[in-house]
Amino acid sequence: MAEKKLIYKKALERLEEIVHKIENDEPEVDELSQLVKEASTLVKKCKEKLKTTEKELDGALDDI
Amino acid sequence: MQVEPLSLFELNKLIRQTLDLNMEPSYWVVAEIGELRLNQKGHCYMELVEKEEDTIRAKIRANIWSYTYRNLSGWFESITHQTLHPGIKILANVTVNFHELYGLSLTVKDIDPNFTLGERARKKQEVIRQLQSEGVFTMNKELLLPVAPQRIAVISSPTAAGLGDFMDQLENNKENFRFEVKLFQAMMQGDEAMNSIIEAMHRVHNEIEDFDVLVIIRGGGAKVDLDCFDTYDLAAHVAQFPLPVITGIGHERDETITDLVAHTKMKTPTAVAAFLISGLKQFEEKIDALYTKAWHHTHNFLNHQNSLLDHLQNQLKHLSKRFLAEKESELDRLGHSLKLLSKSIVSQHKIRLTNLTNQIKSKPFVILQNHLNKIFFLEKSVQLLDPQEVLKRGYTITTIDGKPPDSIENIGKDMVMVTKSRKKTIKSKIQHIKIN
Repeated sequence: MAEKKLIYKKALERLEEIVHKIENDEPEVDELSQLVKEASTLVKKCKEKLKTTEKELDGALDDI
Repeated sequence: MQVEPLSLFELNKLIRQTLDLNMEPSYWVVAEIGELRLNQKGHCYMELVEKEEDTIRAKIRANIWSYTYRNLSGWFESITHQTLHPGIKILANVTVNFHELYGLSLTVKDIDPNFTLGERARKKQEVIRQLQSEGVFTMNKELLLPVAPQRIAVISSPTAAGLGDFMDQLENNKENFRFEVKLFQAMMQGDEAMNSIIEAMHRVHNEIEDFDVLVIIRGGGAKVDLDCFDTYDLAAHVAQFPLPVITGIGHERDETITDLVAHTKMKTPTAVAAFLISGLKQFEEKIDALYTKAWHHTHNFLNHQNSLLDHLQNQLKHLSKRFLAEKESELDRLGHSLKLLSKSIVSQHKIRLTNLTNQIKSKPFVILQNHLNKIFFLEKSVQLLDPQEVLKRGYTITTIDGKPPDSIENIGKDMVMVTKSRKKTIKSKIQHIKIN
C-alpha cells in the first residue's frame, strides 16, 4: 500500500477496511499490531496529502 | 418652171435674209446645256439640247460673247451658287443667227438664273419624292447615334482646307478627347465627284466594324457646284448607309438632298468637329453627373452603414461588458463555492481521518483489554479447578487404582480405595457398592 505515490482514495479504503476489521471482526491478536501500524502509517500519509492539498488549494484559490 | 440654180452662198444668203425677215429680234428659250467650253478669248461656246427621256430631240449651237459671259456668269453664280455647266437647264434670251459660212447658231444675250433655280428646286423635289416613295429618305436619320462616337470615317478631299480645320479641331480639343479618324479620299467637286464619293463609301463599308459614324466634309471657299450632293444616287447611298452620316458640306444656301437624308447636317467641317466634341462632352458630363450621383449615394450609404456599425459596436461593447461582468461574478461565485467546497471536503476528510485515527487508537486497546480479561478469568478458573484448592475447601479426592471411581466399571468388594484430604491420605476396603 502507498509505496511511492500515495493514492488517497485507495489509502482511505484500506484504512476503512482495517478499522472495520478491528471494529467488527475481532482480529487475531497476532495481526493486530501489524494492522495498527499499517493504519497509522496510512493516517499519517493521508494527513500529509490533505495538508499539501489544502496548501495547493489556498495557493490556487488565492488568485481568484 | 425652170429656175436658174443658186450658188450655195446665194442660198445661204437667202436663208439668212428669210430668217432676218421672219424672226423676232430675240426669243426666250428653255434648253439644257449639252456641252460648254470657253476659249482663250473668254468666249463661251455651248451646245443647247432638249431631251425627252434620254433621247435628244433638238440641238443647236449657242455662244455667249466674252463680255456678256463675264457679266452673265457672275450674276448666274451669285444667284444659283453654281456655274453654268453641262446638265443644267437654263432660260436664255437668244437671237437666232445664220451665217453663210458658219451656219445656224444662237447668241445668248441674257440668262434668267431664277429659272435654273426653280428648275433645280423642281428636280430636287423629284429626287426627294423618289427617295420618299422608296422608303429610304429617313433611313439614316432613324439610326441611333452612338453614345460617344469616337471612331470616325471621313470622306473628303485631302487637299480641302475644311479637312485640315476639321482634323485640327478634333486633335486639339480643349477636353483632350481622343478621336480615331481615318480619311477615305474622294473628289468632292467636278463631274467625277458623285461616283468618287460613292466609291469611298464602299471602302468605308468594307471596314464598317471599325467606325461609329461617317463624316462627309467638303472644304468651303470657292462656290463650286454642289450638284453631286443633290443627285439621287449619292443621296440614296447616304440614306441607306448603315452608319449615321454627318455632313459638313460647307455652304450657306439651301441644304442639298444629301444633307436632308443624312443623320445630322452641319454647315461646315468645323461645325461637324464641334458637334462631335460636344457630343463627347455631353457624354462626359452625363458620366460625371452619374459619378457624382453614385458617389453621393455610396457616401450616404457608407455613412449610414458606418453609423449603424458604430451603434452596433457600442451595443456590442455594452453587451459584452455586461456579459463579462455577469460571467465574472459567476466565476467569483463559483470560485467562492470552490473555496468553500474544497475546504469543506478537505476538512471532512480531516474529520474522517481523525475519526479513523481515534478508532485505531482506542479499539486495539479495548481488544487487548478484552483478551486480558479473558485470560484473567481463565486464570481464575484454572486456579479454581486446582485439586489443592478443592482439598483446601474441605473436599476429598477418592481414587481406586489411581482412577476416579466412576471411570471403573467393575468395582469389587475388598478393593482398596484411596481417599485424599488436605492433611491426610486414607486407604479403605470397599464393603458395599450402590449404583446411584
